[in-house]
Parts: sequence; structure tokens; C-alpha cells
Amino acid sequence: MKKILAVIMAVVLVTVCFAACGTKNNEVNKETTYSIADAYAAVKFEPAEISGDDYDYIKSNGKLIVGITDFEPMDYKDENGNWIGFDADMAYAFAKWLGIDVEFVEIDWDNKVLELDGKSIDCVWNGMTLTDEVKSAMECSNAYCNNAQVVIVKAADADKYNTVEACKELTFAVEAGSAGEEIATENGFKATAVKDQATTLMEIKSGTCDAAVIDKLMAAAMVGEGTNYADLTYTVDLNSEEYGVGFRKGSELADAFNNFLKQATDNGFIEVVAEQYGVQASLIK
Amino acid sequence: MNSFIEQFPVVFSALNVGFLQTLKLFAVTLIGAIPLGLIIAMGSMSKFKPLSKAVKTVVWIVRGSPLMIQLLIIYYFPGLVFNNPVWGGGERGRFFAACVAFVINYACYFSEIYRGGIEGVPIGQHEAGIVLGMSKGQIFFKVTLLQMIKRIVPPMSNEIITLVKDTSLARIIALQEIIWAGQAFLKGSQGISGQIWPLFFTGVYYLIFSGLLTILFSGIEKKLSYFKI
Repeated sequence: MKKILAVIMAVVLVTVCFAACGTKNNEVNKETTYSIADAYAAVKFEPAEISGDDYDYIKSNGKLIVGITDFEPMDYKDENGNWIGFDADMAYAFAKWLGIDVEFVEIDWDNKVLELDGKSIDCVWNGMTLTDEVKSAMECSNAYCNNAQVVIVKAADADKYNTVEACKELTFAVEAGSAGEEIATENGFKATAVKDQATTLMEIKSGTCDAAVIDKLMAAAMVGEGTNYADLTYTVDLNSEEYGVGFRKGSELADAFNNFLKQATDNGFIEVVAEQYGVQASLIK
Repeated sequence: MNSFIEQFPVVFSALNVGFLQTLKLFAVTLIGAIPLGLIIAMGSMSKFKPLSKAVKTVVWIVRGSPLMIQLLIIYYFPGLVFNNPVWGGGERGRFFAACVAFVINYACYFSEIYRGGIEGVPIGQHEAGIVLGMSKGQIFFKVTLLQMIKRIVPPMSNEIITLVKDTSLARIIALQEIIWAGQAFLKGSQGISGQIWPLFFTGVYYLIFSGLLTILFSGIEKKLSYFKI
């Protein structure tokens, strides 16, 4: 009996220990001048005038449920566990504009259409590239952001390597299994695959490679003045991709978002949010 | 965040959060499925044919289809088919949906183990109860059930250890259990990206936990060994 008791106690102890480890200490928020609530309050939007079943549905729920994955700088958690990022903040503002709350839910990216149609989320808003598959399965908004695979070189050499032809003499670092690797191969670049996009930048910095191919959005946030890689820059766009928001097929919310997007572009709101997350270079104007 | 030493505390605490979710699902499933399985076992042994046929059909469907499909159906069908997403999109709803799927699935497996255990108790035990003037309820609870429990400990421990690992299937409906937490570091989370080791490290948690369960069950077996029949 004692032995069983001891084992049960051990299991309980381990469980309690895990539970204790699980709770994070709430750190005091860092002083920042930016807050999405203030940024939204500072600009003027025309009120939303929308009618339709999907709008009535989310209105009666009182919240817009946004399906996301952990993807910096679009949607990621701050140190207090709140979702922030360019997409997260824009989603907050869009929901505000609709007069409802926003809720973020992490989903399995492969199941995004199921989640949307099963109404466990109301939109997919996570730096989603508007491919033909996505467009046929969802009611997509206009593109709000450009992305591309770009060539990163030392800023001093930027003028020399501004065409695909010129880049062919360089040695490249690319992320293994990425879109960047694929496009580098297509263009016939001499590429070495490394573990991630951040490592490609380290390779250039350390001189083991001359150039890299990474996401433009990431490039905007990570290289150039004021970053850790101030002496690097990006030159050639090797392809172009566009990010959009996906709503349920036939939903009037896609049009509503397009209206919101236009206003946010006109009144400069989107620029303010984009600068906070370093994606201003990719905005569609 | 490049060295293992720096990464470890971050990964460890994220995996703990995930494992807590795994344990919660495990505990709720056992609490729900152990009694429900007994009810299903009684149903399938019922002398009232339509009831036993119906129960057996349900058991066949549940045991005969993948748990992953059952999870998808239970979570997504209310919204997809009936246009009424009863679970909601939040973490809580996903957890409840996973619990329902696991309880039903495991209750069906348990019911067959119970049935085997009950039918394995020699008929003489039942007859002895009648001779002693015990009521039907007394015979079931004080003679049959008691002896059945001893018989089913090894198959039940087998099934319960399988359950520990099956909880990882719940990630299909985005329940953030430990495998999900480990995989997050492959794509990048909390400043750590492209790391493979957290995913494999989750195996250590499963091993330790199932080790503890194995010890617990062998203890229970010893405790019950006084039934010499």
C-alpha cells in the first residue's frame, strides 16, 4: 500500500511541478510609445456600413476570431503572452472598426479552410500568400502587402549586383527547404543550404558566402540601417508574392476589409503600424 | 539564442505548458471513459437484443475508424454540417472537443476489456452467490466486478499507456499539447527557430510518464494478487 501511495504521490508531485512551471510570471510591461489602441484612436475612419449574413453572425458573437500561426513579424507573442505583430495589430483595428472584439487562435496551417468553413475561426490573417488554391477556397481580400524572394548583398557592392545575371557569379546561402532555395536553384545560383534565414545573414557577415536569398519582409526587418546587419542591403526581387486576408467563401467581410484597407492607406494608419514592425517597404500603396 | 544552454530554459518551459495540456486530456479521458466503458459493456451484454445490437454497432464504428478522423468530425462537423459551431474557436472549445472524442473512443475499447473480464469470471462464482442468497446487484458488485477488476489490470494498463501517446493526435484540431509545443521551434517561436531537438525531446516526457504508470500498475497488480482463483 505504501509503495502505491508513494507512486501516486510522485505522479501528483510531477504534475503539480509542471503546472507550476507552466505559469509565467507577469513581467512589467516595457515603456513603449507605440500602442495599437492609441494608434487607432489617433486616426479617423468612416464608419463601417456592412450588411450580410456573415457580418450578422460575427456581430452576434461579438468578436472576430482570427486564425494565425506564430510568425514574426506578422503574428507573434510579446513577453506578456499577448499577440502582437503587423497582422495582429491590423486585425485588432479592423475588429475595432467593425465594433467588435478580436480573438486570436493558433491553428494548424494545413487545416485553415476546414477551420474557416467550420466557423471555428472567422478569417485567416497570417501573412498568407494569395495563391490560386487559397483564392478558390476562400473569399480573399485585396493584397495588402508584397512579399518577394530578394537577394541580400553587402551594401558596398549593391550597385554591382542589381541584376540576376550579375548575381550568378556570387556564392549564395539559402534556407534549406525554403522558397528562397527553390528560386535560387531555378536561377542557377551556386547556393549552399543552411539551417534558417537568419543563418544566411550570418554567412554573409562572416564572409563564408557573398549573398543570400530570403523573404523581402524579413529583409526589411533585419538588414539595413538601424539593424544588426547595417552593412547589408537587398537588391533584386527574384519573384513576387502578395499577402491577403482570407474570409469564408462568399463573405461580405472581404469587401468590408478592402474598404478598411483603402481608408487605412489613405489616412496613413497602415504606415504607422507597418513602421512599428519594419514592414513598411512591402506595403501596397 | 543560439546555444543549447540559452535555448533550454525557454524550450523546457514551453514543453511543460504543452505537457500539462497532455496530462489534462489524459486525466479527463480516464475519468470519463472508465465509468462510461462499464455502461457500454453492460449495454453490449444486455439480454435485450435491440440494445445490445445498437451498442455493438457503435463500438464497431468507434473502434473501426481512426481516432484522428473522429477528432476532426467531432470538432468540425457541428460548424461544417449543422452550421452551428458549438465548440467555438478558442483553446477551451478545442480541449472539450478533444475530451469528448477521447472519452468516447476509449470507453469503447475499455468496454470490450470489461466484457472479457466479466465473462471470464467462472459461472460457479455467480452460482455460489445465488446459493448464499445474494441479490443480483450484490452478486454483480461484490463477486463478479471485484474479480473482473483483477483480471483486467494488465490489458487496461496496456490501453492506458497507449492513451498517453494517443493524446498527441489532438494536435490535428490545434490542441496545443506537447508535440505541438515541440514542433513550434522548428518554424520559429520565442526567438528560437529551426531547432529540431525540442520535438525529439518531447519523447523523454512520454517515456518518464509511461514509466511511472508502469510502476503504478505493477503495484496495483501485486495489491490485487490475493484473489487466488
